[in-house]
Amino acid sequence: MLSANLVFYFFSGVLVFSAIMVVVASHSVFSLLFLVLSFITSAFLLFMLECEFLALIFVVVYVGAIAVLFLFAVMMLDAKLQNLARNLFRYLPVGFFFALGFLVPMLHQISLKVGESKSFFIQSSYVNWYDLLDSTSDVDVYGQVLYSYFVLQFLVVGLILLVVLIGVVYLTNTYTSNRTVDQSTYKQLSVSSKFFY
Amino acid sequence: MSFSNLVELKTFNVFPEYFIGISALYILIVLVLISYNVHGLIVQRALSECIGFVLLLACYLIINDDLVFGGSGFELYSMLGFYKSSVTDHFAFFTKLTVCLFSSFYFFIIADFLKDYRLTSFEYLLILLFAVLGLVLLCGSNDLLTAYLSIELISLSSYILAAFKKTSSYSAEAGIKYLVTGAISSAFFLLGSSFIYAYSGTINVTDLWLIISDKDWLKINKVNNFLEPFLEVGLAFTIFSLFIKLALAPLHVWSLDVYEGAPTISTFFFAVITKLSFFAFLVRISYIAALKYDEVWQFYSIVIAFFSVFVGSFGGLRQRKLKTLLAYSSVSHMGYTLLAFSSGSRFGAEMLLFYLVIYMFSGLGVWFVILATQIRRKRYTDKFNTELGNLVLLRKSNPALALSLTLAMFSIAGIPPLVGFFAKMGVFLSVLHAKYFFVALLAILCSVVSTFYYIRIIKILYFENFLVGQLYYPLMTSKTTVFSISIFFLLFFFLNPTTLYLMVYKVVLCSFIN
Repeated sequence: MLSANLVFYFFSGVLVFSAIMVVVASHSVFSLLFLVLSFITSAFLLFMLECEFLALIFVVVYVGAIAVLFLFAVMMLDAKLQNLARNLFRYLPVGFFFALGFLVPMLHQISLKVGESKSFFIQSSYVNWYDLLDSTSDVDVYGQVLYSYFVLQFLVVGLILLVVLIGVVYLTNTYTSNRTVDQSTYKQLSVSSKFFY
Repeated sequence: MSFSNLVELKTFNVFPEYFIGISALYILIVLVLISYNVHGLIVQRALSECIGFVLLLACYLIINDDLVFGGSGFELYSMLGFYKSSVTDHFAFFTKLTVCLFSSFYFFIIADFLKDYRLTSFEYLLILLFAVLGLVLLCGSNDLLTAYLSIELISLSSYILAAFKKTSSYSAEAGIKYLVTGAISSAFFLLGSSFIYAYSGTINVTDLWLIISDKDWLKINKVNNFLEPFLEVGLAFTIFSLFIKLALAPLHVWSLDVYEGAPTISTFFFAVITKLSFFAFLVRISYIAALKYDEVWQFYSIVIAFFSVFVGSFGGLRQRKLKTLLAYSSVSHMGYTLLAFSSGSRFGAEMLLFYLVIYMFSGLGVWFVILATQIRRKRYTDKFNTELGNLVLLRKSNPALALSLTLAMFSIAGIPPLVGFFAKMGVFLSVLHAKYFFVALLAILCSVVSTFYYIRIIKILYFENFLVGQLYYPLMTSKTTVFSISIFFLLFFFLNPTTLYLMVYKVVLCSFIN
């Protein structure tokens, strides 16, 4: 239990650190990379709560699709976004307001739970160990349902993705210009950027 | 829990769809391997005919499906497969067969015109095949989820087909308009399904029928009395999303621009082939699942049906562009079909199928003429026939084609020596059976008005005193085989309508309860 707690504290610490760094980092690429890190650590936390499917979805959807898409867009645009970070304190009251808006209901829920157990610490006096044994994991159950009850729908989804793939490749591809876009390493390495501002 | 018995060969009732899907994947692999850019123009025609044969083989598989003719009469559980998400009753059998047959006709027709219309990349045919697969799946889907996915397969393919001509800005506009309206329609479908699920706890059509028709179920679950409006709202949303897809009147505005802007071969597909499957699912939802709520969908559909007949008849009057005119015509035809649907009886369902089959036959004829009349011009963009006036003196340059177009137009207008008369008469009779006399009267008046623009095409073909007209490329006889078949059937079904009518009668008798 102690080791599990230690791992939990480690990952939540990394999560809080990377969440702060998302705001603080000077360059938007760095903050996006920290965003990816925070998603990954929260996926680890979900793993520890035995929500494997949700954790994998976190990694696949947020890290794999959205964050990388943002990263790609920011790198493509190459915008001078450094100056935005200087106005950090201007947005602090608004951020504080939103943080309060999230914090108060959460604390309210926690206090309700604490009120139930009539003591400050949530301690379970009785543990049904049989419930804690997992015969099938989360992903296993989803897979069994998906591949047996929803075989047809699953296959159709695959076909839809294939159609969209073919369509996008056709509609965006121009066969006239076959010039490959190559990178210049010197130009990339010569950029100097501060980590914090 | 034993999951192994859920998918058995005994209940594997999607064999034709499976065949179409596998052949689509196979075609994709083969065409990528043979380096299509080099040999593309050579195999284009052969590929289209090959896909036509694939669909004919799918027809063969559908006809020889033992699961369909297992029982006679209405049997609820005999023909369900894939955990009740797919059904092969007589209705699914008939609609699947019709869709496959007409799609294969379609592929045989367009085989000759792909090169002329500069749609020479193999993705076009492949995406068309995927769309046909979605249509066939939609005919047999017994589940709102399966239906949603098949609709998505159809509509995503359709967006690509509409936007396929990359050099034309009209085509891109058509694609984007189609995408936006399609997204709205999908959102409504999902919202409606979630409401239905909230009420009944199932999205299965057969289960919904059991739940809704069971009076005790309502008494036992008293909590759900509160949720009962949910079912009506959900049903309305689902049906309305299908109405958007079918381009019925207040929701038809996208279809005019999409039909005009999309490449003509794609427009042919949207206007003729896709309609039947959506109606099949509409009938499956309304006539089986929500039979007890017939006053809900009957009210909506009779209003919308009359309105689309009205808009289709009066909107086309001042229209001089050929494709937009046919879009209006399609709106009014969908209105007539929905009139038959909204009668809510067996006879109405029969007339719906009858009307749609005749609509597809005459659609094949008319759109073939539009594809085939290419004007002799140097510039590629001037070659295609977009205005009504271009058809002048077609009787001199190609008398047979002009005569066939006249026959098809008479059939669409519903003039007696052709089968369109029976189709329209059946629709009005079914409305009279349901005792909507006033609606029937108004629809007949609108039908008379719409006859004006069909007859005007015939007037342009035959009775204009022009000495100089457009000159068309000559047609090879081999290109007109399918066209001749469809024109033949327009005449044949007038002389012998019982062939089709008995089929439709048996299908509806074995599939629906009321």
